[in-house]
Amino acid sequence: MSNWKKLKLKDLNRFLDELSSGYELWIPEKEKQKWIWSIYDKTDEVQFPPNIIDESVKALFFPKRRPIAEFDLKKKWSVKQVETSTKPRAIMGLRSCDAEGINYMDRVFLHSGYTDELYKGERDRTLLIGMICDEMGENCHCTDRNSSPDKTEGMDIIFKRVPDGFLFRQITEKVSDILNFGLLIDTDEIYEAPEWPRGRFEVAAPEDVLDTYDDEFWNDVSDICLTCGGCTFSCPTCLCFLVADEKFKGKCERVTVWDTCQFSAYSRMAGGHNPRDNNAARVRNRTLDKFGYSERKYGRTSCTGCGRCVIICPLKRSFPYIARNLTERIKEKKAASQGA
Amino acid sequence: MELIPKAAVIKKVINESNDVKSFLLELDEGKPFSALLGQFVEITVQGIGESTFAISRQKKGATQFIVSVKKMGHLTKMLHRLTAGEFVGVRGPYGNSFPLEEWYSKKLLIIGGGIGLAPLRPVIDQILLEKDKFAGLEIVFGARSPLDILFKEDLKLWESDPYARLHTTIDIPYEGWHGKVGFIPSLVKDLALKPDNSIAVICGPPIMIRLTVEALKAMNWKAEQIFTTLEMKMQCGIGQCGRCNIGGKLICKDGPVFRIDQIPYGVI
Repeated sequence: MSNWKKLKLKDLNRFLDELSSGYELWIPEKEKQKWIWSIYDKTDEVQFPPNIIDESVKALFFPKRRPIAEFDLKKKWSVKQVETSTKPRAIMGLRSCDAEGINYMDRVFLHSGYTDELYKGERDRTLLIGMICDEMGENCHCTDRNSSPDKTEGMDIIFKRVPDGFLFRQITEKVSDILNFGLLIDTDEIYEAPEWPRGRFEVAAPEDVLDTYDDEFWNDVSDICLTCGGCTFSCPTCLCFLVADEKFKGKCERVTVWDTCQFSAYSRMAGGHNPRDNNAARVRNRTLDKFGYSERKYGRTSCTGCGRCVIICPLKRSFPYIARNLTERIKEKKAASQGA
Repeated sequence: MELIPKAAVIKKVINESNDVKSFLLELDEGKPFSALLGQFVEITVQGIGESTFAISRQKKGATQFIVSVKKMGHLTKMLHRLTAGEFVGVRGPYGNSFPLEEWYSKKLLIIGGGIGLAPLRPVIDQILLEKDKFAGLEIVFGARSPLDILFKEDLKLWESDPYARLHTTIDIPYEGWHGKVGFIPSLVKDLALKPDNSIAVICGPPIMIRLTVEALKAMNWKAEQIFTTLEMKMQCGIGQCGRCNIGGKLICKDGPVFRIDQIPYGVI
């Protein structure tokens, strides 16, 4: 008997029904050629994509627009914090790159000095049921980022698709009840890790990346960037936000809203000064943040290798493309300085 | 949740200049407001929004503190409309502080451009409280015009204090103004202050900071002797929203006070 349990394919829906009776269950759903996260509905035909879900799991913990407090404008001063949800929730089918993203969010919202209580509430109520990818996608490159599709760090349960069903394994203590569901049966089958291929987007070491700050390279790679911000909004570790007070029908909500360093107004001050007033400065900021600054601030680089920015970039000049070219540039510079 | 402000009562509004008002604030819960020298606060105007302001006067153990606000955008416009007795929200204080104790026994040169004098006033206050601990105080203040001169009462006090030397300048000639005319960097050059045993502290518009640092360096001041407080665009104040990230440092958390040689690349 292995330490895996087996769920037969025909039992999948019954398993999900059982799971959803105790948890608010989120699973991937295909909508217009894109995979998004959606609450499980018994009438759905459930599928799990072979690799990433187009929509990052970030939004389930840190929504695009997130009310955090409400002001009562009829009073001289009154503000009340939004209550955190405590309803148990399970997210099923996320990948190792999603868990990496959550790990990074934890660093920012839980371990950087101030606790974001709403984020903590979402984390505390959520069970992570991770899936090992069937294969790496065209733009996947977690293997270029010291990870792999079968890394279990951060998951509570992990599962893997096999020809006639799924293999499940418990990772943390949080979830023993689920693994005892009658539908999960003992098995001799085990998961054998394949030799995962490398991705296409290797990046130089943080100190070398940071060293390129003054390089002409940034002008060359950023010239056609539309600064649409798509790369940042799709990124599981881009967490920049705006704090806004929105007034509507006598009510005023304080919200956090996703924002991006790729917008020129992001860093523009009331007096007009803007420390990042051109494309090159903005593209450089994002790249150096992923591969340099984040390591200094939070102890690890923050690209998870999910490839969502490659998929979303309308010009296919996205960040891994830039990073790969940057690595070439660093090699060239090093070779030139050694030759001189 | 740190992003939710606490109520503070406006005790007094002081008209400083054409477009600057100071607000004397007291937290509604009546507790002392303890901030380190150089820290900042986030002020909420209910129903409008929130922005970052330097503390322009504070006293150890006191319940009240002052922020000075230049009318620049929507929020500051709405803040200017508030009067004594009304409430604002306060978060903070946040950020690092001026290392005043490291400057003991040195001569201090404090340079403020416009509203940039606001975060420096508490430093001057503290130096004047501990005169015997420092070797002297030069204050340089530049305003656009006589109408933009702030903290007039303080300037008078500093001018009459034999311990301090005050140099005030306005940017361009103005009818009836008999004082100095010209930008701060050229005034600093003219003063030709020696760098020996000295520390300079600068705050003002980015271009003014940059040119003043250049002027000092040209007179053999070292970057390690020059400090600034980078009151750049901040928002959450707690190092999470990412907005003030410059060259990998967060102004709200690693700053706002920086020694010039420790400033992230390309900021000023």
